[in-house]
Amino acid sequence: MIVAVELGLLYAVMALGVYLTYRVLDFPDLTVDGSFTTGAATCAMMIVGGLPVPLAMIGGVVAGMLAGAVTGLLHVWGNINALLAGILTQIALYSINLRIMGNKANIPLLRTETAFSWLKDHDLMRTWVSVAIFAVVVLVVGLLLYLFLGTSYGVALRATGDNELMARSQGINTGVTKIVGLMISNGMVGLCGALIVQYQGFADISMGIGIIVAGLASVIVGQAIFGMTSVWQAILAAVLGSIIYRGVIQAALMVGLNPNDMKLISAVLVVAALVLPQWGPFKRLRIRRRTAQAVAEGGK
Amino acid sequence: MLKLDRVTKRFFPGTINERIALDEVSLTLNEGDFVTVIGSNGAGKSTMLNVISGRYPTDGGKVVIDGRDVTKAPEHKRATWVARVFQDPMAGTSPHLTIEENLAIAFRRGQGRGLGMAVTRSGREVYRKALRTLELGLEDRLQMRVGMLSGGQRQALSLLMATYAKPSILLLDEHTAALDPSRAELITRLTGEAVARNHLTALMVTHNMHQAIELGNRLIMMHEGRIVLEVDEEAKKSITADQLLQEFSKIKGASLSDRTLLD
Repeated sequence: MIVAVELGLLYAVMALGVYLTYRVLDFPDLTVDGSFTTGAATCAMMIVGGLPVPLAMIGGVVAGMLAGAVTGLLHVWGNINALLAGILTQIALYSINLRIMGNKANIPLLRTETAFSWLKDHDLMRTWVSVAIFAVVVLVVGLLLYLFLGTSYGVALRATGDNELMARSQGINTGVTKIVGLMISNGMVGLCGALIVQYQGFADISMGIGIIVAGLASVIVGQAIFGMTSVWQAILAAVLGSIIYRGVIQAALMVGLNPNDMKLISAVLVVAALVLPQWGPFKRLRIRRRTAQAVAEGGK
Repeated sequence: MLKLDRVTKRFFPGTINERIALDEVSLTLNEGDFVTVIGSNGAGKSTMLNVISGRYPTDGGKVVIDGRDVTKAPEHKRATWVARVFQDPMAGTSPHLTIEENLAIAFRRGQGRGLGMAVTRSGREVYRKALRTLELGLEDRLQMRVGMLSGGQRQALSLLMATYAKPSILLLDEHTAALDPSRAELITRLTGEAVARNHLTALMVTHNMHQAIELGNRLIMMHEGRIVLEVDEEAKKSITADQLLQEFSKIKGASLSDRTLLD
């Protein structure tokens, strides 16, 4: 089960990116499936090419940000529907990712130095040491995101997703905030791809397929269980949601379910997290929590 | 100051549904003018405000603010000079942001938005002081999300957000119409106070004749995309709702039920 916690923490970086678009910007961004692999492939190729690991990871982040910028420009300047803009970028990225990987579907990172080499050499992978280190990494990323969302620009970005008419009437260029938000989000997704590629020791052209569902599952499951009112609560919920999601997948594998069924299980999990809170007992629970929250905030 | 020079706006141009919402409308607001706008539904009142704020592009004519031709400037850019309060109390505020975050956005209108913290300790003092003018006790609930406030409270907050960073033009689009009478009265009073305190130049659309007479120093009446009656400062002091209704009937050239004008 410790593998699930490790993976959950690493994928939480991606979940935070999905939180930024899906929740904060109210923009269902499907670029993620492509930009995850783009970040992974860019990082892998730079490592294989002998560049230092930190630089390779920055490369992954920048590649992801560019992918996000494309989706943003398609949506803002091209007036293309948000979902469609993301799908178009995602499909285009499949070809681009293959090119990045030198037209190979798989890039192994065996016997190369990676960010995880030290942990592997000391036999610390799959221990609480690795979990602690990953947790610190996620904490730093989450904290940076939290701080950003509290800046003047970050608040403008949140207003864009919350009430676009108001944002524009207060002088916020909502086109630019959306593009910036998509770039930051996909930069985080690219970083996650760069981490995962080193963790698993290879880049694969199909490693990003369906990853958006994992991201959405993390955000939605986390929100359903922990609730989300303030920004830091929502960020924490996305991280914990990611760990729970990986735990569920791990549990499903352990009871002997076919690994090929995991995408189906992911989808069912997201549907359950979206539908269950609308049902009687869960709804009452939610209302009670909301009332408690309102009292705490000094409302009626 | 605001100047509209033969501004025209058509909806659905080139189709069978083509409708002229603004027909070469010219209007000048001098500094400190507070003009109330009345007229029946579809007269072009809201369209005129939307053309000034840049929400709708014009099909002809010029919009000049503070001597600057802003006809082509996008909505977010015009927000530097133009502030708005909408009819819908939910429209002017961001529900998932806290009161202080909403104010932080509004108080930076027309300035850059960088990576400094949005809400600072000194900022909070400014917000508290500004909120006290609303007399709603919101100054003690800075960290409350705006979505939890009532419509009247949100509209009062919208008004503060529109007027604080002194705009060159304040646009009020039937901003009390969706509120219950006592709240509407409060917002009307707060509007008058905010305009007077900040010496704002304002344009207010209303369906309420008494509000139109009570507030502002000038009054205009619109009909079918044109300004059909202008009441200047002297005349406005003595005008009554009945006189306005009579004027309107005369202009329309037909008998008019006062229901269409009076709330």
